[in-house]
Amino acid sequence: MKKHVALFMAMVMMLTAGIAIAFNADSEIVVVSREEGSGTRAAFVEITGVEAKNDKGEKVDNTTLDAEIQNATSQVLVSVAGNEVAIGYVSLAALNETVKALKVDGFEANSENIIAGDYPVARPFNLVTKAGVELSEAAADFLAFIMSKEGQAVINENDAIAVVADAPAFEAKDIEGKVVVGGSTSVEPIMGKLAEAYNALNPKVEIEIQGGGSSTGVNQALEGTFDIGMASRKLKDSEVEKGAENTVIAMDGIAVIVNPENTCEDVSLEQLRQIFTGEVKTWAELGK
Amino acid sequence: MKNDRKYLSENIMRGIFLFSACVCIIAVAMICIFLFANGIPFFQKHSLWSFLTGQQWSPLREIFGIMPMIIGSFYITIGAVLLASPIGILTAVFMTYFSNNRINRVMKPAVALLAGIPSVVYGFFGMMLLVPLTKDLLNLSSGKCVLVASVLLAIMVLPTIIQTSAAALSAVPGNYYEGSLALGATHEYSVLHVLIPAARPGILSGVVLGIGRAIGETTAVIMVAGNQARMPQGITKGIRTLTVNIMMEMGYAADVHRDSLIATGVVLFVIVLCINSIFSYINRRRVIQ
Repeated sequence: MKKHVALFMAMVMMLTAGIAIAFNADSEIVVVSREEGSGTRAAFVEITGVEAKNDKGEKVDNTTLDAEIQNATSQVLVSVAGNEVAIGYVSLAALNETVKALKVDGFEANSENIIAGDYPVARPFNLVTKAGVELSEAAADFLAFIMSKEGQAVINENDAIAVVADAPAFEAKDIEGKVVVGGSTSVEPIMGKLAEAYNALNPKVEIEIQGGGSSTGVNQALEGTFDIGMASRKLKDSEVEKGAENTVIAMDGIAVIVNPENTCEDVSLEQLRQIFTGEVKTWAELGK
Repeated sequence: MKNDRKYLSENIMRGIFLFSACVCIIAVAMICIFLFANGIPFFQKHSLWSFLTGQQWSPLREIFGIMPMIIGSFYITIGAVLLASPIGILTAVFMTYFSNNRINRVMKPAVALLAGIPSVVYGFFGMMLLVPLTKDLLNLSSGKCVLVASVLLAIMVLPTIIQTSAAALSAVPGNYYEGSLALGATHEYSVLHVLIPAARPGILSGVVLGIGRAIGETTAVIMVAGNQARMPQGITKGIRTLTVNIMMEMGYAADVHRDSLIATGVVLFVIVLCINSIFSYINRRRVIQ
């Protein structure tokens, strides 16, 4: 009986050992994407131009229908780690050594390049206020907290890249009031953590956080409904003209990942668009 | 006085038994009410017909067509049942008529264990072993496909089919077998031509139960099916099922998108209801026989 078990185990091991075959550039690219509704997917398709306007002027996510869809970052990592012709994307904070991050437009995906603005698959987390309008005492204090050492530490703990170097320590003041913050649903979770940390220091200020999306965040901040608006993109020229002012509180980077067996080292933003819309089907077509 | 107390405890116990019996029914009723109450409003805005027959699923642009997922669910389920039925039925026949006690002492717990393994473990097994193996053997670009999902589901529904079929086979009256032998038939001939036909309704209901299990499976399928929301492209390509569609997008879905997922649940619920009706129809016929 034991002999049979051992024999069976050996067979399984042999089968699995044979699996790791070499990378073949002529093979089809297996695109791994996230499900619709995912914030990472929304950011990725927007930055790479996979999302484009159609004839009617509607924004359409043109991710190829052949893309494998995974509904969690960990699943994307496992899928790419297990397939030498796959390509996917994950939040930079989730990157691990089972996969290889590609350079995009020649820049490696790391926090330095993202803060410097060189690595393109990244987006700022902006706080938006209206120029010329003075913030309430409570709102100004909350903003000061976000830009302080403590606030930036909360950002780093929550998978975003803190941007303020040598931030000063925060001094709690005795302030009362209410702050309404609203906008981008990508910034919302981090804002929740920031509000939590701030309230631990100053429980008298009530912070209300609303969603609605980046555009809503900017518009309502201009109209005064929100004390502070949140936007997970750069401000548009039209918004700046209306008096919107932004403060970058953090950067969010997305790493483009392939299997370690893959010989491809870097891609351009345009090539990413071609891969994820299915215009380019094999690695050989990319000239890798 | 003493009698009163006796009746009191009797009545309390009666209440407890009644309550236990009701829990199940209340749960089913509440799920029904929840599903339909939340699912129906969606159909007031979007037509049921275009929801069922639409081939495009772009929830963020409010294009809801679950045809690919309906076909996907049936595709994978039919594949699984086609694979599992012969294996399961033959296993049941072997366990009931050809095996001995020594083998059964290993077989029965093994089958029961197979039924008890959590589906996420099946999914992990599929993702780590079946997916790369299939990719390698069939020289595909990705191993996440209908074939793997069907094979994995087949393994998962095997215990259901084996246990139900074995129970049906052992319930065949002994005099059928004795009668067949008395007419000069061999053991094998009796099993194949007398006992299996006699147990047919029971075996069939096992298969139907297996279909129900397969169509409702989510966690394991999500890990090996590729989950592309498009019409099936063949058994070596990926696919998305109804269950996967709900589980995959529920996390971030809001507003109409969320309603559409609940509506997907309603469709799935109705399909499972139909399968269960077939099951009880077969069962009723067996009782009549």
